[in-house]
Amino acid sequence: MRKLSTLFMVLSLVCFAVPAFAQGGEATGPVNWVAIAAGFSMAIASAVCGLAQGRATAAAAEALGRNPAARAGIQFALILGLVLIESLALYTLAIIFLKVK
Amino acid sequence: MMPISATLNSELTSDSFYSHALSRISRSMLVLACMFVPLSLMSHGWRIALGVALGSAIAYINFHWLKRIVHRFAERATETGSSPSGRRIVLLALLRYVLMASAAYAILNVSPASLYGLFAGLFLPVAAIACEAAYEAYVALARGI
Repeated sequence: MRKLSTLFMVLSLVCFAVPAFAQGGEATGPVNWVAIAAGFSMAIASAVCGLAQGRATAAAAEALGRNPAARAGIQFALILGLVLIESLALYTLAIIFLKVK
Repeated sequence: MMPISATLNSELTSDSFYSHALSRISRSMLVLACMFVPLSLMSHGWRIALGVALGSAIAYINFHWLKRIVHRFAERATETGSSPSGRRIVLLALLRYVLMASAAYAILNVSPASLYGLFAGLFLPVAAIACEAAYEAYVALARGI
């Protein structure tokens, strides 16, 4: 698992590094702020949804460890929570596609 | 004051009622998909309807896989039966995103107009959960809770 997280961190660094070393060209027109804002909003939404899913899963694991008899209820609440959190990221993606087309 | 047997009976019935919520949500997703695809076909044409159908299918598979992942995760957390490996759970979770991304990429290449239908289809679980919430509220009101 640690190797996998290291791989993802290196990949994200590489993704940031490639545009940073790109040669700067002459300005060709106005900056497309909508596209930049869309990228940032998607990144923020993904990060917050990932954090929320992680916290929900951690809380469910803790609850299962404390009270294994309540497994059915915890499972149900976790599934609903994960689906609703995932749909928030999808809402952002849908709004971005509507605005940046 | 309610007798103990009546309290236990009502708790058992409410437990069985809530334990069937996930299967009700799955059924609601199927019913809503069967309603939305012909409606979008009539109102927006076949491209959007194709997107809605594909999005609904992906949302249904996604929900089903999420249930499996959470079930395995709970098995692992409580360590009952043969606890599945964590790597398999993570791979299954990643496979869901790969499925969604590949379907969106394919439909974007084939017909960009269908992408809006795909997004509409992907929100099917939210609509099904809203239906379940409305049904549970109705049952609670009918029972006089």
